[in-house]
Amino acid sequence: MQRIYVHPFPVRLWHWINAVGFVAMMLTGTQIRYVGIIDLMSFRTAVTVHNWIGFVLIGNYFIWLLFYLFTDKIRVYHPELSPTKHFKASFRQLQYYGYGIFKGSPNPHQVSAYDKFNPMQSMMYQVVMFLLVPLLAVTGVLLWDVQGFYGAVDFFGGIRVVDTVHVLIYIFFAFFIFFHVYMGSLGHTPTAHYKAMFVTGYEEIEEEPGHGGATKR
Amino acid sequence: MAGSRKVNTMSMATLHRNLVKAAFAALLMLLPARLMAADAAPADKLSDGDKQCLGCHGFEGPKKELPGGKVLSLHVRGDGFAKSVHGAIGCTSCHADVDLKTHSQKPKTIASSREYSVAMTKVCGGCHADALKQNETSVHAMLLASGNPSAPICTDCHGSHAVTPKTAYDTCVGCHLAAMDAHRKWLPNAGLHLEVVSCAACHAPAAQRMVDLRLYDGATKKWVAEKEGKPEFEKTARAADTDGDGLDAMELRKLIGQLNRDEAAQPKNLRGRIELRIGGEAHQLSGKSKAIKDCAICHRQGAEPFQNVAISIFSADGKPLRYKAQKEVLGSVLSVDSLREFYAVGGTRNILLDILLVLAVLAGLTVPIGHQVLKIIVKGELERAARQDKAAKGRDQP
Repeated sequence: MQRIYVHPFPVRLWHWINAVGFVAMMLTGTQIRYVGIIDLMSFRTAVTVHNWIGFVLIGNYFIWLLFYLFTDKIRVYHPELSPTKHFKASFRQLQYYGYGIFKGSPNPHQVSAYDKFNPMQSMMYQVVMFLLVPLLAVTGVLLWDVQGFYGAVDFFGGIRVVDTVHVLIYIFFAFFIFFHVYMGSLGHTPTAHYKAMFVTGYEEIEEEPGHGGATKR
Repeated sequence: MAGSRKVNTMSMATLHRNLVKAAFAALLMLLPARLMAADAAPADKLSDGDKQCLGCHGFEGPKKELPGGKVLSLHVRGDGFAKSVHGAIGCTSCHADVDLKTHSQKPKTIASSREYSVAMTKVCGGCHADALKQNETSVHAMLLASGNPSAPICTDCHGSHAVTPKTAYDTCVGCHLAAMDAHRKWLPNAGLHLEVVSCAACHAPAAQRMVDLRLYDGATKKWVAEKEGKPEFEKTARAADTDGDGLDAMELRKLIGQLNRDEAAQPKNLRGRIELRIGGEAHQLSGKSKAIKDCAICHRQGAEPFQNVAISIFSADGKPLRYKAQKEVLGSVLSVDSLREFYAVGGTRNILLDILLVLAVLAGLTVPIGHQVLKIIVKGELERAARQDKAAKGRDQP
């Protein structure tokens, strides 16, 4: 078993602040939207906590952004510009998760320090980190002070448009949070990816193909 | 010659004095004339009797000396009174005790302007009995009963002669100057709340609330009012409401389109306000300890204020003109544009997004469960295939 350092400390710090914050945002956001159906806390407490954590997460986003902007690790997000190559690789990955993983086929994507995402992950995380999270943050800030940002709210089509975009992204993350947690358990052991991202930063790579975990290129 | 010069000199001095006097008199005459000119147009609506009253009271001159050396101005701005909601009923409706024959000879005895105003609240109650009754249990009435010299009475909120419909907030903050700061200490988005929720909506908790969707002109930054002599709003709204059961989301879109026919002008939008269904119930103002502080009163699906919805503009004389809308417009996907300036989180949410959320959560749960089920099926199939393969190999061997 070989160990490769793929999750540097700033990324791990960002990820876990983000994970805890996102769960809190989902809970408080659900409470804000569904008063009477869910009664975990008062509406006012939910709004106050939602606002504070929202700003913490915006600050936290910059840990991620600045780390990748100012290190060569940004290469992990470099897109595959050839659609043919990308979709072929994605299809192979899909086949692996849909069938190969059950019979112990090797993971078609081989992890390295500069290539830690499989094709499906790289596409998904680019959409999440460069589009959905910033959009969620911007719409959240506009909703935080509708009066102060009246001009911007009006520019984007009114408060209902801003709110609908915010809620649609929340709905996406309501799906993604389950999906993401489950996919994290599909390492060579159910906790392998968690240990790497939580604690060590090292992914354990099996040198011989034949298991469901990541393999070295 | 000398005598003649003296006479001439005296004549010149007299002429000069007379000219100065004439000019001063002309100025004195011009000043009220200018004041009268300003009052003239709206004052034309007043009756001859009212004009007679304003003949004296329309100027700043008349004053009454009160005990203790205080002075009470008897000036009434004619234009303000003419424009007021009381302009049509005339001076004597409230001042019925005034007898023109004895008015100047037997002036009333007034101990203080405050005492006079308090006594006049009974006159208000002559017409506004319901309002006065509701006011009896209000925090304002309790302060008055306790002898508080600053306790608000009718005229403190509504004015004495220039009585016009007012926004509650403007009226309230006239005295409650620290209201904004006090709300900021506990209320998220306090500025927005004080803009879109009338004070009485929370401070008269027993009253029924409603959503008043008022037409706002972003270009002039004013609420839209009908042009004088051209009432069109109700006719246009009635035409849009084809079923006659209140405007639904589609009809509301149509109405907004009608009201924004002029494509060159900046579109007018509806801004929602939480108001009392019956404005007079605002007189039931409670103390702040009893005011609504529970956000869930509004921020929940089916909340009481969202059960009654109306579209409104102001009439030419400042009264709200309302037309009923169906409550479903508040949560309709078709209202994204027509109600682009009103949304209450939790209270006016769109049910399609709720359905989408349930589907997303189900999908999120289905992926791991489905994948594990698939794993069991595939594993079982693979093991069975392996067993069959082994059995086949066993049969082939001698």
